[in-house]
Amino acid sequence: MKLIDKLITTDVLVVGGGGAGLRAAIGAAEMGVSTILISKGPVARSGASPLAGADLTLDGRSLHELGFPGDPRDTKDKFFNDIVTQGFYLNDQRLVELYVEDAPKRVKELLDWGLKVSSAEERAIFTSGESITNALLKRAREVGVETMDDVMLIDILTCSGRVSGALCLDIMNGDLIVFKSKAIVLATGGWHKAYSPNAGSRELSGDGIAAAYRAEAELANMEFVTFICNAIYWPLKWQGLIFPYLLHLLVGGKLVNSKGEEILSKYDPTIVKFGTSMEWNKSFISIATMLEVLEGKGAPHGGVYYEIGDITWEEFESRVTKRYPNWRYKGIDFSEFGEMLRDGGSIEVGPAAEYFEGGIVVNEKMETTIQGLYAAGECTSSLFGANRVAAATTEMLVEGAIAGESAAQYAKKVGMPEIDERQVEKLGEKVLSPLKRKDGIKPAELRKRIQKMAHAKLGPVRTREGIEELLRFIDVVKEKELPKLYVSSESRKYNKEWVEAIELENIIQIIELSAKSALMRTESRGVHYRLDHPYTDNDNWLKEIVVKRVNNGVNVVTRPVKATKLPLPCGVIPYWEMMKMMMKMHSDIGGHH
Amino acid sequence: MQQKEINVKVFRFNPTIDKEPHYKVYKVPLMEGMSVLDVLDYIYENIDGSIAYYDHAACRHGICGGCMLIVNGKPCLACQTPVSGDITIEPINPKRVIRDLVCAKG
Repeated sequence: MKLIDKLITTDVLVVGGGGAGLRAAIGAAEMGVSTILISKGPVARSGASPLAGADLTLDGRSLHELGFPGDPRDTKDKFFNDIVTQGFYLNDQRLVELYVEDAPKRVKELLDWGLKVSSAEERAIFTSGESITNALLKRAREVGVETMDDVMLIDILTCSGRVSGALCLDIMNGDLIVFKSKAIVLATGGWHKAYSPNAGSRELSGDGIAAAYRAEAELANMEFVTFICNAIYWPLKWQGLIFPYLLHLLVGGKLVNSKGEEILSKYDPTIVKFGTSMEWNKSFISIATMLEVLEGKGAPHGGVYYEIGDITWEEFESRVTKRYPNWRYKGIDFSEFGEMLRDGGSIEVGPAAEYFEGGIVVNEKMETTIQGLYAAGECTSSLFGANRVAAATTEMLVEGAIAGESAAQYAKKVGMPEIDERQVEKLGEKVLSPLKRKDGIKPAELRKRIQKMAHAKLGPVRTREGIEELLRFIDVVKEKELPKLYVSSESRKYNKEWVEAIELENIIQIIELSAKSALMRTESRGVHYRLDHPYTDNDNWLKEIVVKRVNNGVNVVTRPVKATKLPLPCGVIPYWEMMKMMMKMHSDIGGHH
Repeated sequence: MQQKEINVKVFRFNPTIDKEPHYKVYKVPLMEGMSVLDVLDYIYENIDGSIAYYDHAACRHGICGGCMLIVNGKPCLACQTPVSGDITIEPINPKRVIRDLVCAKG
């Protein structure tokens, strides 16, 4: 293979250096198969996992039995029902059962592997994302997982309808690497980079989801995007950071528009109660914020203002520093942020893309629709339905463990596949093409235009006109701009523009799939809010929208929700009423989830 | 109000082509609350797309360590270092430069 610099053989290849990838790699290696994990950034320090706040959710009784102050009145059934109603019943209930059932086992082993816990409440333990990934990385090393940093997935290789490996790029030296493997676990997280601002780290461009789509795996629920509310919009250096989100949820504060009006008090008190004290806040406050902006009452950078509210500065600061000593959150010194809020000051905040409910279709074994291809964590679909409230950190552990074990079992049964060299050459030529162009369109310039359009038209508030405009824009980009992407330097060594050019192919593909799904879903459900269809249509839309590549086009179909335990509701209900109903169905177990 | 412009002196070196490292100076408009990483982003997006600095997986939370650089002679994380005037940016380990400000790990 003339374009290939390196060939590496392994039984199982895990793609993703966050929690889902690490847990999958542990699961595979524990079964005794050779396992390599590639991470686009530093392993255990990239992806969304280390950025998580973080908490792990599990039912209160199991938490209590683990020796924490969990609520012993809680049951797995109550937790199950809460996840499904929070998901507006769009969840694949088989996956919710797995989540609820396996969560205590995954938390227990993580504690055995050295997880540091800072506090616990009714249904969650609080730790940090770094502590989770540290514990996982240590365990992964113990069981013999080999890890490679700064290696990016380009495409999945297939031969005779099954996975045969992957084409990857070593970002540091520019080498093209072919991994020959029996099975692949995709754990590549979300596609945050399609949006600005976003709450992810910079490498999250949906590489695994886009590669799975190109390999003709099914994707579902692509229209559902959670925007975390109250992320910082300005100043620039903190853009997308979620510190005020945490303060508003855990400490307090007030949101006002540019007219000085408080923005939440006009909503139903039940919605405000749940929508400010639990992770329901993400959908509720993000939509409420965008509605202010659409009414012309937004702040200069398209958000609203966060203030400390009706509480003295001394009280506010004491509450903040109790949780975040010296105003320190992760590696960031936020004392200047405190100064900005003091004496009636404010900071501009708003919705930022944070979590993607949709993704690669998996079954209970985390098998995708391609033989030998598995997926885990945020890049998968359907666990949380239309709205995630329970923790994604638990999702990554539960799904990662299953995916790793399933992939290893499969790898033990089959022989090493052959690599289709023509497929590799074709993909290699395509990936090298931006390096050969001398002029055209710069990746960063195109990326910024895409992010702006996605935020405006595929954000927390959507309309038919807006989505159609976005789809027309995507058509032009695909036809006229992507083929003209060029890079300023021909060097293959750490070439940022080259990496971005590759990512943009993925981003634009995924936005198209998401926009087509969002256009088709003529209702509002969970985090998908259509201003022109402001009701939840349980009679026609308790269905998943499934997309699959067919030749060069998209095949879009709908499929009924997989309801194994909880019967589905009926009727067409105004969106805010439906949200209130779902909130009120919450069990008697409290906590921030 | 006229926006303040700063001079940003950046270490450039492509070991496969260049015999010696050199410095290039860029003029960048200073925005409120800019970090060193924001300054590099500005150069990359608006002036010179060939500049290499480790940001493809930047966490921007001061935890990944990827953006560790020497700024005005001192080691720091680009994402957590505020900028208020002229700066010089150099790689953390000039002997292990892959390209410009990006160094081999380990």
